[in-house]
Amino acid sequence: MPVRVRRKLVVLPFVAVAALIAVGAATAANGGFTPPTPHSPNAHRIITAYDVILGFTVAIFVIVEGTLIAFIWKYRSRGRARTVEGAQVHGHTRLELIWTALPVLILAIIGIVIFVELPGITNVPAANAGDRLNITVEGHQFYWQFDYPNGAHSIGDLHVPVGKVVYLRIVSPDVDHSWWVPQLGGKTDAIPGHPNHTWFKADTAGTYAGQCAEFCGLYHEAMQARVIATSQQEYDAYIGGAVNTDLGRSEFQGVCATCHGMQGQGGYGPAIASSTTLTQAAGLDHVVRHGGVRMPPVGADWTKAQMQALLDYVKTNVYKGAASSGG
Amino acid sequence: MAVNAEAVPVVDWKQGRVASWLVTVDHKRIGIMYIATSLVFFGFGGILALLMRAQLATPNESFLTKNSYDQVMTMHGTTMIFLVIVPILAGFGNFLVPLMIGARDMAFPRLNAFSYWAFLLGGIVLYGSFFASGGAARAGWTSYVPLSEAFYSPGHGQDYWILGLHILTISSFAGAVNFIVTIHNMRTRGMTWMRMPLFVWAMETYAILLVLVLPALSAGLTLLLLDRQVGTHFFLPSKGGSALLYQHVFWFFGHPEVYIMVLPVFGMISEIIPVFARKPIFGYKAVALSTISIAFFSMLVWAHHMFAVGMPVGLDAFFMITSMVIAVPTGVKIFNWLATAWRGSIHFDTPMLFALGFIALFTMGGLSGIFLAAFPFDWQVTDTYYVVAHLHYVLFGGSIFGIFGGLFYWWPKMFGRMLDERLGKVCFWTLFVGFNLTFLPQHMLGLLGMPRRIWTYHHGGLWEVYNLISTAGSGVMAIGMLAFAANVWITHGLRKGVRAGNDPWLADTLEWYAASPPAPHNFDTVPYVSSARPLRDLRRRLAEES
Repeated sequence: MPVRVRRKLVVLPFVAVAALIAVGAATAANGGFTPPTPHSPNAHRIITAYDVILGFTVAIFVIVEGTLIAFIWKYRSRGRARTVEGAQVHGHTRLELIWTALPVLILAIIGIVIFVELPGITNVPAANAGDRLNITVEGHQFYWQFDYPNGAHSIGDLHVPVGKVVYLRIVSPDVDHSWWVPQLGGKTDAIPGHPNHTWFKADTAGTYAGQCAEFCGLYHEAMQARVIATSQQEYDAYIGGAVNTDLGRSEFQGVCATCHGMQGQGGYGPAIASSTTLTQAAGLDHVVRHGGVRMPPVGADWTKAQMQALLDYVKTNVYKGAASSGG
Repeated sequence: MAVNAEAVPVVDWKQGRVASWLVTVDHKRIGIMYIATSLVFFGFGGILALLMRAQLATPNESFLTKNSYDQVMTMHGTTMIFLVIVPILAGFGNFLVPLMIGARDMAFPRLNAFSYWAFLLGGIVLYGSFFASGGAARAGWTSYVPLSEAFYSPGHGQDYWILGLHILTISSFAGAVNFIVTIHNMRTRGMTWMRMPLFVWAMETYAILLVLVLPALSAGLTLLLLDRQVGTHFFLPSKGGSALLYQHVFWFFGHPEVYIMVLPVFGMISEIIPVFARKPIFGYKAVALSTISIAFFSMLVWAHHMFAVGMPVGLDAFFMITSMVIAVPTGVKIFNWLATAWRGSIHFDTPMLFALGFIALFTMGGLSGIFLAAFPFDWQVTDTYYVVAHLHYVLFGGSIFGIFGGLFYWWPKMFGRMLDERLGKVCFWTLFVGFNLTFLPQHMLGLLGMPRRIWTYHHGGLWEVYNLISTAGSGVMAIGMLAFAANVWITHGLRKGVRAGNDPWLADTLEWYAASPPAPHNFDTVPYVSSARPLRDLRRRLAEES
């Protein structure tokens, strides 16, 4: 192949990569080259660690790939026969020691940076007991349930006050899941029989999206979560009232509707809108706690209040049987 | 079979075109059968990958159902690891090791044949999974518990998966023992450890690692099978078992497995680069010793797959440090390969293109690995597409590129004809460009927050752009694969391949002293080995004499 053509071919992938980067950069300021904008101190420190590692690795990348391309260009055979040998160099001990020691040094620096940032990531900030909100996060097939200190529950959406340390206990009654809201810190797995802990402190009011990050079965993808950070007043109002009146809706939409559809019209699971089970406390309780042929026992550990809230909601909003009443 | 050199009346059916392959104990034929079978599974695994990329091309796609997506995803990973990369390397090892060390065959030819047939059986059983009640295994190639337990994964797909892997571990174990015994005992006169081809060093290390870690996998799978079939509860926390235990057992095997899949490829690269740069390898001892130290450290890093499970921070730190340490000998190899190209006279034949492409891509995979070793950052990107990108840069950009280099390099030795160079270059460039298009954007997807193993997503914008680029890239890669298939067809089906002499590349190692393809007994005579480059020595002696 002529040298000129070869040169073009070598350039090709790099042009492709550059184009790709340009597309990304044009679409958004971030473009996916760093994790999303952090909104919690631990997430901030993770980004700091990322930036340090990125600096070193980009430098190494440029040096290695640059050397590779330079050598490919400079030491090409230029049409010489195969019998013409290159320099018969068998090694160079000092050089080899240098490129063994240098990476050790770089990795040591990265390691030190990690250890410096670590306490700020793992240690829960010291706070008065009153200033810390303790929440239990339950990963279920296939929804997130949040248990608040006052005994209230919510499904899918976690409401928290801005600027307060939120301490999470993460559990699972069934299979492995992983709690992850990228803007509020890293992942913590929900593993049955192995409660884990993590924390965050939302610095701005807003809604932060996340989803289950450990493959947990058929509806893994549907295990979405949102953290809704509001002012303390709004949080207090929510936890005092809305959380309870809204429980039935969030249970149906966050748990049942995943398979049975938003109106109970059926989907992966059968249509339930006209099933009389929806109106019978005992029947509904049994199905939710024990599951069915293909249905997982989604609410095996639900409280009586949770069951009642679901019953109240589906009776009036989902059930479309003979005595249809709204919905 | 030429083993019967005596004038014993030969049973006719054993000499048939097909039957002679079925009963063979010749390491070369077994090696070729390994490689051919692995390439067929590579086709299956590739089709599964294309199905996944089609499903993920755009948001809210419904090309596959979520049920089939999970099966496709599980079988893709399992196929590529257990039925493609590991066995194809066993195939190369089978074909090459006896030739490279000047031996007549492997130490245990019948055990060798057993290994191959067990591999084929394991593959068939694994694919039987698709025909099981309830469909194929769908708990991911890692099959974490409790998801893979009977309650959460009913049906027999998972049981077929376990049995298939069990058979494959037996096959690999027998093969590994065979390699070790062969390499230790059957090297030709003069071939000391420090004169051994680097590929043989790599196969020795590969085999030792397999012997050390396969039992862990077998044990874990046995416990899982007992849980599913007999009602034990080793991994069921609700009954006193431990879900975490499985992860430790699995990754104690699983991480060395990564090096099992990449060390022999390092060996191939160390053979190819010097031959096409017309130089000796730079720092033979450093390259050989780094292979061993990588293997050693690979057994101390398993829990870096588990940083998010809530280990004590001290353990996180330990596994971060060991994972970083392993980057050092890996870096040594990269630098030594680069230095081998330095002041060379580089010929860009297809094997060399793949070897250089390997360096470019594997470097990328190694560097993203440093991010993953830094455990606080790993908490952000573990179980996302960032990891998918990383592992494909290592296992496709690394292992598969190296394997393609090896195929183009040793093809004339195996079959006596050269693969077509022009189509070879088409194959390389489409794979190289397609690979980067497919997997580079996946780093960004992971950073944006896309978890792995989801069957669909709802975000437009960047998520859609990167996913679409990735899917387009997978199509380009498919063209590269077709170019390879076409190449084989043109070379052999149409018999257009140029006949290769014994040593078409003017290489350094003993396999090129045998005929192409080698006679059943490999060598009439083997030259005395007085360096790591016996064939170059021979060429120089002949040149001096004439």
